[in-house]
Order: sequence, then structure tokens, then C-alpha cells
Amino acid sequence: MTARGQGRTAFAYLTPALLVLAGLLAYPIYQLVLISLYDYGQEQVSGGAPLTFLGLGNYQNLLGNQQFWTVLGQTVAFAAVCVVGTLLVGAFLAILATRVRTWVRMTLFLAALGAWSTPAVAGSTIWLFLFDANFGFVNEVLGIQGFSWTFDKWTAFGLVAAQVIWCSFPFVMVTLYAGIKAIPGEVLEAAALDGASAFRTAWSVTLPLLRPIILVVTIQSIIWDFKVFTQIYVMTNGGGIAGRNLVLNVYAYQQAFAASEYGLGAAIGVVMTVLLLVITLFYLRALRRSGEVL
Amino acid sequence: MAGIGGADTTGKKVGWGLLNTVVVIYALIPVLWIVSLSFKSSKTLADGNFIPREWSLENYQNIFSTSEFTRALVNSIGIAIIATAIAVVFGTMAAYAIARLDFPGKNLLVGVSLLIAMFPQVSLVSPLFEIERSLGLFDTWPGLILPYITFALPLAIYTLSAFFREIPWELEKAAKMDGATPGQAFRRVIAPLAAPGVFTTAILVFIFCWNDFLFAISLTSTEQSRTVPVALSFFTGSSQFEDPAGSIAAAAVVITIPIILFVLFFQRRIVAGLTSGAVKG
Repeated sequence: MTARGQGRTAFAYLTPALLVLAGLLAYPIYQLVLISLYDYGQEQVSGGAPLTFLGLGNYQNLLGNQQFWTVLGQTVAFAAVCVVGTLLVGAFLAILATRVRTWVRMTLFLAALGAWSTPAVAGSTIWLFLFDANFGFVNEVLGIQGFSWTFDKWTAFGLVAAQVIWCSFPFVMVTLYAGIKAIPGEVLEAAALDGASAFRTAWSVTLPLLRPIILVVTIQSIIWDFKVFTQIYVMTNGGGIAGRNLVLNVYAYQQAFAASEYGLGAAIGVVMTVLLLVITLFYLRALRRSGEVL
Repeated sequence: MAGIGGADTTGKKVGWGLLNTVVVIYALIPVLWIVSLSFKSSKTLADGNFIPREWSLENYQNIFSTSEFTRALVNSIGIAIIATAIAVVFGTMAAYAIARLDFPGKNLLVGVSLLIAMFPQVSLVSPLFEIERSLGLFDTWPGLILPYITFALPLAIYTLSAFFREIPWELEKAAKMDGATPGQAFRRVIAPLAAPGVFTTAILVFIFCWNDFLFAISLTSTEQSRTVPVALSFFTGSSQFEDPAGSIAAAAVVITIPIILFVLFFQRRIVAGLTSGAVKG
């Protein structure tokens, strides 16, 4: 086929996907930006009240709002805890998996995949019940029946973080395990022959070789944990008492749907998108550096 | 590998064994706990025993006798299957083009699909709500299927093009040279090679649709199109006076266990699919 012919065939194959993405993604994004520029509330949605163009009013409103900055700070801190936790647990398990017998490794992987595949809503419910004040297993074991984990702001965040780590460490574990396995045995042998200790080998040989993969799973975790919605929504009942457990994602949703401030909700959406876009661009660069063919 | 850094002492072995146990407990206990709750009768629900003292199917009978749950189950299955089918077909076409053909803007395309996969879904909720209301798609099956396709498609394209790159496409040519028609070459040679990748992608996409909560809660309002994750969050028990925990536990088991079994059954493929994005080979 000529280059031109190939281009045309490729276009034909790509058309359905492109149409879907244009209609269902590009257009809504355009709408999102548009809505964020208007005072768009309940009266406008159902009553057909006239639209007021605010320009950047919603954004000014948002950036001048103390709650937004609190929520943003919480989101970053929460995501950071989840990312670090996920990476530590995942990396530790990946290393563990390379050092144990086959059947133990299989058990580890099966348990991890079980946690990974649990739907977020079910997972959140499961953890809530596990830590339930009255009939939760954890309180039963600790002998503190009646203690509510979700009432206090920090234990609530901690509980949600434990759940998020629970369902996201398997990805890190599986990926890092594959990465460790892909390191040629000769390299490690050579290090051992040169008299390197186990720690030295891990630090100076394995770790540098794994760096690209570690970078990729880190950024991917950042992106996921920044977007946590279901767990917070379900476990803290929509953002906790007086919204003290809100993260950006839930905040945007609450502003749009609970408070019917669609314009403001859209503005939060735009801010979120821009933030994630920046992180993703870093991700793409990391991918390219790691030699991944896009 | 166990011998790095000298022979394992008994102490070390016990240490590793202990760690394994802790990890398996962390991963497994939550799921086992909900299974246990779901089999407890309403009397023993709050007794905190890990193993039910009185096994009963009461909770399952309760949820399956309400249309609130059965209807949601039908919605979940139907919506996830249709969205998966469409996303995988379109994704396969696009990935084929990316893997086999040369065209301008190819790298950009994969980059863009990654960008979309990272996109915060919550941002699209308000505009989609608006658009779907004006088109009459709000609270209907297509109203959920369409956004699922949007977000499943990039995932499908990305995973599939990673798989397709590994297929030895020369075999197709070889088959044709041996006298096979293009149709035969595709059916006998390429399809069997591509099937595992397509299948794995379908599983990943299905799980994505099945697990979604955000779109399902914002773009539906009645039983007509509510999926199980949403129905579960609305559960109030079969009667007003009953604690819904038992029903919620049973419903959570119903949507979780099939997926876990499915994933465990196809674990090798899924691991390959998961790592295709981050590890080469």
C-alpha cells in the first residue's frame, strides 16, 4: 500500500472511534467550559430562567472561596497519603512475591486480584461494615464497640485511605513484579560475583533498572487517587459532616447536583481537568523516557 | 531468589511467613467479612462473630424479591455488555489501524487516548446531564451506555494496540502466499492470535462499566436505568423498620463475587493486560 492509501484506510478504521470521541467527549467539554462561564442554577435548568453571562465570575468566586482552598489542600494531602501507601504496599508485595515459593506467590496474587476487582461501591461498603461502630469485626476484635471511625474527620480520612490503598495496591504490585522479573538474571549474578551485598544489589542495580516503571506507576497512582470519588462519597456519606471530608471530585459533584450550582460545579470541573492534564503530560513524558512506544 | 544474601535462617522464614499472612489477611478479610454478614440472619447480624452462628439465606431472598435490586441487576448486566461490545469493536478497529498502518498523527492519537483515560469523569457529569436532558436520554440505558463507551474506548485502544504490536503480522502474508484467501488468512491466522488480547480488553472494559458509580448516580433517577452500585447506595432494607446492612451485604456479594471469580479465572490474561501499559514485552 502507498503511504496515502494507508492513511486513507487508517482513517476508515478510526472513523467510528473518532466520531464517538468527538460527539461524546469534545462536545461535552465545550459545554463544560461554556456552563462554567454562566450563572447556571436550578432556575435555569428547569424553569428556563434567562441565563446571565458571568465571564470568569464563577472562577473568581471559586478562587476567592476559602472552602475551595481547604478542599484542594485536603485533596492533595489525601492523594499523597494514598499514593505513598499504595506504592509502599505494592512494592513490598512485589518484592515479597519474588522471594517466596510458587504456591505462596499464587495465593498472594489471587488475594490481590480479589481486592482489585471488587467494585468500588461494594469495596467501600465492605470496609464500612468491617469498621462499623456496632457490628464491625474490627471493633469486636479491639473491644471498642460503639466507637465510630467515620465520625472524626481524621479517622474517616484514614479509613477511606486504607480502602483506596486496598483496591489500588494490586496494580502496583503486579506491574512491579513483572518489572523485576524482566531484569535479566545475568545482571544480578554479575553484581553478586562482584561481591555486592543484597542491599547493595537492590539499591544500585535493581532500583535504577526499575526506575522508569516506578515512575509510571507513581504518576498513574497520583492521577487515580486525585480522582477518588466513590469511596469518599459512599464512606463519608457524601463528604462527611458539614463537608469536612470533601475532596475536589466530590466537591464538584456536590456543587453541581446537591447545591444546583451547575456553573460553579463546571468551573471546579475545569480546574480539575487542567490540574490532571498537567500531571498527565508529565506521565506521557515519563512513558517516553522509559522507552515505551506510544 | 530466596537465597539472596545467604542461607535463610528459621527466624527469617518465620518472619516471611508472618508477613505473608498479614498481607493475605489485609487483602482477603474484608471480602470474607461481607460474605459472612450476608449470610447472617437479621437476629445475629450485629453479633460481631466472624463466622455466622446461624446461616441463613434471608438477605438474599430479601434482595431478590424486590424489583429495586433485580431490575438494577438487569440494568447493570445489559448496560455493561452493550457498552463493552461497542467499545471493543470500535477499539479493535482503531488499534488495528494504529498497529498496522502508517498515518500522520498516529502517536498523537495514542497520546490523546491516554489523556482521555486520565480525564476526570466528574467534569463531564454536568454537561452530560444537560445534554442528555435536552435529548431525552437522561435516565435511559443509552444515557449510560454512551458515556461508558467514551471512557472505555481509550482504555480499549491503548490496551489493544499494546497487544496488537506483539502479533507477528507476517504470518498473514505467509498464509496468503500459501494460497489462503484474505478471509481465510484473517479467520485462521490472525483472529486466533488477536483473540486473547481482544478478550482481555473486553474483560477490563466490562469491569470498568460494571464498577462505575459516578455516571450511574448522576445520569439516572429511577429504577428504570439504575445500576446495582447505585441501587446499593439507596438500599433502605426490605421494610422501613429493618436495618439494611444485611441486604447491602448480600447485594455487594452478588456484584463482587462473580467479578472476582471471573478475574481469578482469567488472571494470567488480566495481569498481562494490566501490565501492557507499563511494562514492555
